[in-house]
Amino acid sequence: MALQFTRRAAIMAAGFAALSASMAVAQGEKVALITPYLAQPGTQFYVEAFQARAAELGWEVNVIDTAGDVAAVIARMEDVTTQGVSAIVINVDPAQVGAGLAAAAAANIPVIGMDAGTDPLVRANVTSNGYAMAAETAVYVANRIAGAGNVVMFTFDAFPPVQVRGVVADAVFANFPDIKVLDRITPNVDDGGIADSRAKMEAILAANPEPGSIKAVWAAWDQPALGALQAIEAAGRGGEGIVITGIDANPQARDAIAAGGNFEASVAQDFAGIGRTTADTVARVLAGEVLRQNVVYVPTVLITAANVKDAK
Amino acid sequence: MAHFLRTYGTLLGMVLLVGFFWISLPDTFMTARNWLNISQQVSMLAVVAAVMTVVMVMGDFDLSVGSMASLAGVVAAVMFVQGFGIAAGVAAALAVGLLGGLVNGLLVSLIGILPFVATLATLTMYSGLAFVISGGKTIFGRDIPQGFADFARGGIALGGDKPLVLPYLTLTALAVVALVWLLLEQTSYGRRLYAIGGNMEAARLAGVRVTWLRLTAFGFTGVGAAVAGLMYAARVASANPTQGAGLMLSAIAAVFLGMTMAENGQPRVLASLAGVVVLGVMDNGLTQMQVDSYVREVLVGLIILLAVSISALGRRAVTGR
Repeated sequence: MALQFTRRAAIMAAGFAALSASMAVAQGEKVALITPYLAQPGTQFYVEAFQARAAELGWEVNVIDTAGDVAAVIARMEDVTTQGVSAIVINVDPAQVGAGLAAAAAANIPVIGMDAGTDPLVRANVTSNGYAMAAETAVYVANRIAGAGNVVMFTFDAFPPVQVRGVVADAVFANFPDIKVLDRITPNVDDGGIADSRAKMEAILAANPEPGSIKAVWAAWDQPALGALQAIEAAGRGGEGIVITGIDANPQARDAIAAGGNFEASVAQDFAGIGRTTADTVARVLAGEVLRQNVVYVPTVLITAANVKDAK
Repeated sequence: MAHFLRTYGTLLGMVLLVGFFWISLPDTFMTARNWLNISQQVSMLAVVAAVMTVVMVMGDFDLSVGSMASLAGVVAAVMFVQGFGIAAGVAAALAVGLLGGLVNGLLVSLIGILPFVATLATLTMYSGLAFVISGGKTIFGRDIPQGFADFARGGIALGGDKPLVLPYLTLTALAVVALVWLLLEQTSYGRRLYAIGGNMEAARLAGVRVTWLRLTAFGFTGVGAAVAGLMYAARVASANPTQGAGLMLSAIAAVFLGMTMAENGQPRVLASLAGVVVLGVMDNGLTQMQVDSYVREVLVGLIILLAVSISALGRRAVTGR
């Protein structure tokens, strides 16, 4: 029995030793980055770029993934507040972690959002400009059809980040007297958005059989654009020169753009840039700067056949 | 010695764990504020673990508690969206919890499906219902009444120079644990549940109404899961059809941890609470020590295995096998 006890003590000691070894030697600022979404590809781009920039700045970064658990984000925000980190970066909607924000605020620890959302307790949110992305593709469409013709829009006003895109495209098209918005469709997104968009587009194509009666399809994100592309190709109307644009430049959209068909343009967010800029924004706050802007935008890139192979 | 180790090994481990964090984090770990924090963080898990104990006492499982917690949160949120008040939303969520729990009980006790299979099926069903009701979306923002979210932020002021607050979530969890303790330890209802866990056939022959007891015990667990789901929804001021998913495995782990410190290895609700505290302290301490979150998960699993192994070794030493 004594043997067992000794063995157990040895195991425990070994465990604690391993634990102590895994603690980094304290140096520079301690920054905690907390996300429930680390497993998602976009998030990994932000986080890696953030870590790289933080390493240059000599910070000790603790990346905490709560694997989808938002309440755990609050718990970990409280823990790192107790620990006394210099700053907290969150990658989750601030509206869901109010208790954690309050804890950090009470301890005077600044919280920065990385593609999170705005909140009075978040010093700044670093993200892409949805308004600008929509303007890029809407103007691309207007220019390509020489400011005249029927345009089909795919929007989704129930989701605020996508709603702003629709508003901007409305304004751009309204500014061209000869552009007529034939239909403004909200596709059903339960299946991911491609299949229902395709069905809706097929109906519109059937209702407008004349070549040239539809000049362009502007979609607020890539999935409806891909659905519209499938509908146009399936209807044998790929040769009419209908211009399609999306936003987000997902891999499927890039393939379609590279193929040189009707899907001509999309906009890529600079995920790595968001991560890097978040680190720089944290650095500004730690240096004592009072940020005037509570949203910091990272430039996006219009993706067309001309740059689809080179753009990241 | 073996007996001592079997009974107190886990307790000793807990003390060592706390001592380790205390030494490693001298300024921040052993403070009233941090412990109040931990108590709030584990409150939802404590509720699920307590009601999980009720069915585990009978040797049963309820795998559907996590999805029931999600479903309850979504039901309350959808009620709020429809313009109902906090009381109506909470009542609807609790009713769904009771109903879901009784369905589990019905499947297990009347139809006689193994709890593992029956609640695995209802896990999927309740999760699916949560998606159907919410449309797969997270319900948050102005749809959630301020009073509902404020419950999870508030508490009873304890004074002090930096004012300390005993969180309402902690009090809710303590109330549920106390209720389960009364039920299991102080009533003949509870003793009969233990009798079923000891030997179901013997209990039946001794006149224990096994079917009825199992049915109601699962109902209890369903309501408890709904309470935890409401606490979670209040804490994050939102409801999402998957948010309770993590509670189930952690709750079972906590009960198992607790079983290692109980006489005869039976599930006891206070021991389950101790198991919950171990898990909460690990999360809190390791986060403060900046241990990688994935390494943290491995360590939590290791601690559970360690505790259960010691308990098993102790038992073997006692029985001489």
